[in-house]
Amino acid sequence: MLITGATGAVGSELLRRLVARKGTTVNALVRRGSARKPDIPGILSDMAPVADLVIHEGDLRAGSALGLTESDVESLARNTTHILHCGGSTSFTLPLEEARALNVEGTRSVLDFARRCDNLRCAAFFSTVYVSGMRSGSFSEIDFADGGSGFVNTYEQSKAEMEDLLRDAMPELPVLLLRLSTVAGDSNTGAVRGFNAIHHAIRLVYNGLAPMIPGVADECVDIVSSDYVADAALHLVDHGATGVFHLASGAVASSSLEDLIGSTVDSLVRFRPAWRKRAIEKPLIVDLETYELFVRSVEEADNEVMRDATRSIRTFAYQLAHPKLFDTAKTARALAGSGLAPAPALEFYPRVVKYCLDSSWGMQQ
Amino acid sequence: MSRAIAYDTGIDAIAEYLPARVATLKELAAAGLLGGSAATLASFGFETVHLAEEESNLDMAVAAVEKLFAENEIDRDEIGIVLYATALSSSSTMWNHEAKGSILELGDVADLFRYPASRLQSELQLTNASVIGVNQLGCASIFAALRLARAMIIAEDDLKAVLCVSADKFPPAHKRDLIYNVVSDGACAALVRRGAARNRIVECTHVTKGALWDSGSLENEILAAYFPTAKALIERTLDKAGLTIDDIALVIPHNVSLRSWQILGRLIGCPPEKVYTENISRVGHTIASDNLLNLRRATERGLVKRGDHLLLFTFGYGLNWACMVVEH
Repeated sequence: MLITGATGAVGSELLRRLVARKGTTVNALVRRGSARKPDIPGILSDMAPVADLVIHEGDLRAGSALGLTESDVESLARNTTHILHCGGSTSFTLPLEEARALNVEGTRSVLDFARRCDNLRCAAFFSTVYVSGMRSGSFSEIDFADGGSGFVNTYEQSKAEMEDLLRDAMPELPVLLLRLSTVAGDSNTGAVRGFNAIHHAIRLVYNGLAPMIPGVADECVDIVSSDYVADAALHLVDHGATGVFHLASGAVASSSLEDLIGSTVDSLVRFRPAWRKRAIEKPLIVDLETYELFVRSVEEADNEVMRDATRSIRTFAYQLAHPKLFDTAKTARALAGSGLAPAPALEFYPRVVKYCLDSSWGMQQ
Repeated sequence: MSRAIAYDTGIDAIAEYLPARVATLKELAAAGLLGGSAATLASFGFETVHLAEEESNLDMAVAAVEKLFAENEIDRDEIGIVLYATALSSSSTMWNHEAKGSILELGDVADLFRYPASRLQSELQLTNASVIGVNQLGCASIFAALRLARAMIIAEDDLKAVLCVSADKFPPAHKRDLIYNVVSDGACAALVRRGAARNRIVECTHVTKGALWDSGSLENEILAAYFPTAKALIERTLDKAGLTIDDIALVIPHNVSLRSWQILGRLIGCPPEKVYTENISRVGHTIASDNLLNLRRATERGLVKRGDHLLLFTFGYGLNWACMVVEH
């Protein structure tokens, strides 16, 4: 098994599951010189790995050799049956060229490496359902990209371009393309291994700095638990699935935007009773034009704190103004009988909010 | 108390005082009286403000009331109470009255007990009126005064009329832009009367969020709280009045930036043409006097007709939001 991005939110969940498999050799590729290598023992600190874990320092932007020596990469290619490519950037704010270098060129390198693997059974690539960009309506597992509607951020665009590469490779390689919705945290514990936009939004609400959010009150917001994503991904990998699958809540498990905001506020009150004293109002759900006017005012006023808050919301919340439903029918069929299904968002989301509070958004981990 | 009687009380007469001296944003900037950018404030809808020179806050209050008396047939003896509303703490005292430019400096402890409300009562010979100060609500203070006036008239059979006065003079040497609005000096006076011929007070509401009391250190939280709370309060007020925003003929705003009304108007479903914003650019934010001044101007301009429902809304440090529906 080769896994990239093993220290990320999804990669770390996968790594924990892989090292629990006896008789498996797990090769984890981390970026040379990255500060993330020391994170791996921490990710596995509460478990006793039974698999052989080998950590390689490489570079996804270095072509098919992945930044390894030729002898190392040859050996790795010879012994790799499965690839889990979680590496890349999930930042919404990188310049497009930088996002492309990490997400498109990195994937190109992994594909080139996959072509060297004679025993390859599955090459799984992690993407996002938000390659759909600013489309509205239903987005299915046979749809690709934004359909000309444009993208909210460079992450979405670079992932859509990444998918172009994968689509081209599908006839020759056993490509499994997994599109994830927003990964919120563990459905049982609320634990968050990678804080992302939704956790930042919770913090803004907590700090009383999110007066309004663009969107439509009763439209779906798709968040999914990290354990479901990891378990479902490995199930599909193990069963040799190929093609595109949505690891999302879909129509059944999603929450409406209004309910999710309500749950955020309710959870903050429940888990931090003193928060109520601050008399912070629930953020308003507003149309995009109103939100733009507010953002423009904040930008013109040059208020650093509010500007940073609105900018951070802008990088993802514009998605909420383009409501869509991610069709998960194909995934549901593939997982039938496995007992795997996305947990209803509103069931586990309060635990995620609690984890954010208890860990001070990761500062006290 | 029956609803019919409550509904009979209204704002029968309004007058204002604005200092003669007018300064542009450019002039304020040149004088070091702006902390932020004049261009930004211009984009938020401001052009000029009024600056008091020799006038004290009391002088402005007296001038506004004298104008009220001059323009309306008011028997001074019918006024049973004067509610003297102030936003700035300095406006509810006469500290260092003689020391121009240093009104916040305390000269003598006895100065703390020299009240402008009593002096106003004396100067205007309102001998039948007792005086009450209404303060600590920032720019919402005049709304509290109007609300109290209405409640008192309803509660006290022999009380026919209450004079509500508001006057604030900004410390002269201090920067005049506060949370992206530009402060004008000014005063207003309103007569709340039983059996009022106009502006009957249909509903008034007020929210205080004391957690946001510290205007200095909580500016971001105050900014973020403004719109959600404003929307909620306006909707609650309309609901209590049995009205919807579509029933409102004109919104009579505070002058805390045109931009804020463009946003709030969208939030409450009120089109821009139904918000009377003409005064924001040329008058600026007169602290507590905005709404009454705007109500008077809108009336003079023939923008409201008898029977129209008007919605008045304001926001003040403390942190306070206040809303009122009147039937013109």
